[in-house]
Amino acid sequence: MPCLLIDRVSKSFGGIKALDRTSFTVDAGELVGLIGPNGSGKTTLINILSGYLAADAGRVDLDGRPTGGLRPETLAALGVQRTFQLTRSFPRMSTLDNLLVAGSALGLSQEAAETRALELLEDLALVRLMHLDAGHLSGGQLKLLEFGACFMVPPRIALLDEPFAAVHPTMKEIMAGFIRRRHAAGQTFILVSHDMPVIVELCPRTICMNAGAVIADENTRAVLTDPVVIEAYLGEAAA
Amino acid sequence: MLTLDLAINGLIIGVFYALMAIGLSLIFGILKVVNFAHGEFYMLGAYAYTLAGLLLGISPWISLPFAFLVGMIVGLIVERLLMRPLYSGYTSWAVMRDEYAVIVTFGLSLLLINLVDKIVGPYAYKGPALVDVTRIALGPVLISGHRLIAALAGIGVIIATGLIVRYSYWGRQIQAVAQNRLGASLAGIDTAKASAIVFALAGGLAAVSGALLANIFNPTPDVGVFPAIKSYVIVVLGGMGSVPGSIVASLILGVLESFGGVYISYQYRDTFGLVILILVLMFRPQGLFGERARDV
Amino acid sequence: MKAEDVQGGTRARMRTELLVSLGILAAVALLPAIVANEYWRGVFIVSMYFAMLAAAWNLLAGYTGQLSLAPAAFGMIGGYVTGLLSYHYNAPPMVGIPAAIVVSGLIGFVLGRIVLRLRGPYLALTTLSFAEIVRLIISNSIEITRGDLGLNVPGIFDHRLAYYYAMLAVLLAVQLGLYFLLRTPAGLYLRAIRDDEIAAASRGVKIVLWKTNAFTLSAAISGLAGALYGHFAQFVSPELGLISQTGIIISMVVIGGLGTLPGPIGAAFLVYIASEFLRGFGGYQLIVFALLVIIFSRFFREGLWGLLRRAFERARARPATAQAAE
Repeated sequence: MPCLLIDRVSKSFGGIKALDRTSFTVDAGELVGLIGPNGSGKTTLINILSGYLAADAGRVDLDGRPTGGLRPETLAALGVQRTFQLTRSFPRMSTLDNLLVAGSALGLSQEAAETRALELLEDLALVRLMHLDAGHLSGGQLKLLEFGACFMVPPRIALLDEPFAAVHPTMKEIMAGFIRRRHAAGQTFILVSHDMPVIVELCPRTICMNAGAVIADENTRAVLTDPVVIEAYLGEAAA
Repeated sequence: MLTLDLAINGLIIGVFYALMAIGLSLIFGILKVVNFAHGEFYMLGAYAYTLAGLLLGISPWISLPFAFLVGMIVGLIVERLLMRPLYSGYTSWAVMRDEYAVIVTFGLSLLLINLVDKIVGPYAYKGPALVDVTRIALGPVLISGHRLIAALAGIGVIIATGLIVRYSYWGRQIQAVAQNRLGASLAGIDTAKASAIVFALAGGLAAVSGALLANIFNPTPDVGVFPAIKSYVIVVLGGMGSVPGSIVASLILGVLESFGGVYISYQYRDTFGLVILILVLMFRPQGLFGERARDV
Repeated sequence: MKAEDVQGGTRARMRTELLVSLGILAAVALLPAIVANEYWRGVFIVSMYFAMLAAAWNLLAGYTGQLSLAPAAFGMIGGYVTGLLSYHYNAPPMVGIPAAIVVSGLIGFVLGRIVLRLRGPYLALTTLSFAEIVRLIISNSIEITRGDLGLNVPGIFDHRLAYYYAMLAVLLAVQLGLYFLLRTPAGLYLRAIRDDEIAAASRGVKIVLWKTNAFTLSAAISGLAGALYGHFAQFVSPELGLISQTGIIISMVVIGGLGTLPGPIGAAFLVYIASEFLRGFGGYQLIVFALLVIIFSRFFREGLWGLLRRAFERARARPATAQAAE
């Protein structure tokens, strides 16, 4: 049984089909890259998977259980954790408290949450900012923080929406290392990114979407040299 | 002819409601906040109109634009001193803007009411009538001359405002900022100026509404509280940010209250609108026309 | 070493806030020893009524980010529940006060469900409408409530001092309750919802549950405050629910510091006592408060408590830097 099964999911906004019978599966332990030109439906898909949007048609199963109609907080408790393209945090709470929220909400005891938060802060090089309000962090530090919040309790599947966009190379390296180590430990990911070198480096398998449909789904090198994929990108560039 | 009588009176009240609500709706459109001090612009207009007549002895037809001017000036000052942080440069304010907007306009309302109470006193003044004719026959319906003339003047102001917002240079810039502040600023529109114009216009319109009604509801420091609540109901019913929606909703509320006061309950006529507001926000948050109240 | 790290920050801050709150209440406990004047003791009792309302509104607005404009309405509801029970059924305060807590809490729960999906200005408008509807119903249901004439409510104690310490005990309980609530994960959830509801949901915070909890609890505390006030004043009227009363409560919280423990209660005493003074000098009190609300929310968002805390931190940092320089 796959960890995540996406079966003919469709979603329209007004007359525009954002997702058009999108289907694929992700097995436990996989690190899957999700690419596609702007407007190809990547974020819409992430929003449906994490419960922020309801699909018009189709089904999504997590470990064989249908997740349609569940709220974001319920899905989070079931192990679907995500980051946002435009980073979201709790600006008037300390960096530490930002992590403790996630830990407590997912059932960790106060001590367990604190221990875990300290590990993550160490890992993400945020320890000395622990008591600073998140509102005072830089854009890159906020990305790291959001990232950490995702892994307070290791999720069944982590949906990362453009974690590398507009991030300083040093922080990008911290994040990439973080993802690599967790993938090696068996963590399942979907990684949305425009950053092809990172996708090539991290993801064994890549899915390319265009106009709401999956147009390629194999190992990363093959996808990136697929003429259909190249045309989808160049077509956008030409337009 | 009770039905016709109620309908006409309802429509007339609706005109005054619309004068209030258009400004509130424009402010919401451009800043995405509700001005909880909107009723106090109405109150200031009512006093400006009444006291100009009483103290200076000038014609009500001059007091009327004077009230508009007072509303505009206060609107400009408020925008400059209190609304700027909502959109200029204070990025860390983004999360707190709703909190700030509610509290600061609520505080402003409290300030203006009590300031006027101290300066002018709590007693009601009677605003002068625009015309001396006590009764005009409108078909089979008798209407006080002032009420009719005031309503016609109000309709004139509403039409003028509609034309300005829709077709004038600045009106189109306001529309652009309301649709997309960032996009408008990238296109070279001075968004701060657009906000200032909207506040001035909204203040002026509410003040004119207060002035036109000063003969019927005599100004006291808290005279603006109820018209403000009506205009909240109207902008929610008509859709936040939609001017045509506000006008239609104003007329609907005026007529509804007029009939409801007779056929449902006179005591509870002021609660109809409030119940409508809650129901609309619960079940149709985008109102009849405008943008959605819920956002994810 | 690490354990100490975690102890700092938010937790240390909350402990300080609790200690200062207790200090304020201790000072209030000693006040009657200095002020023997019955009138002024009455002023302090009313201040405590406002302190409870301010603390309750602060839980909702300051910690949870739900800017309700109905706090005064819940005070009024509480007062009328116990008042009506005793007027119509001769119910003693021992029945009336708990009933006031339960009824206000239930109404708060329902209001919380109604505004669950509304943000910012829409929530403010809905709660304002709710408050006005309740007030208009009470003032128009003359056969039941005697309308604008108000309702006589029986007293509880013979001596003013007994009311004084009863109110103080309840205020202490409310303040301690809030502290112990806010230092559990519940405090984290509420503040997370305030800062970003969408992010909170994505981290697994049960939004519906905690928002309704905050509304229910805030309303129940307000109802309790109103019931106690009713028994003390031996009178309730629809004026308790006026928008201007909400204005006073908001002034107190904003001046003291939104989202802080000692700010709202400290400011409740300052504001109410100052207003009694100012009343003697031509009644400028509401003008002053309104100006303060505008100035504080425009320039000092953390209120008096934030200003004090920063001044204190600066004073403590100065000798440290001086030492480091040597």
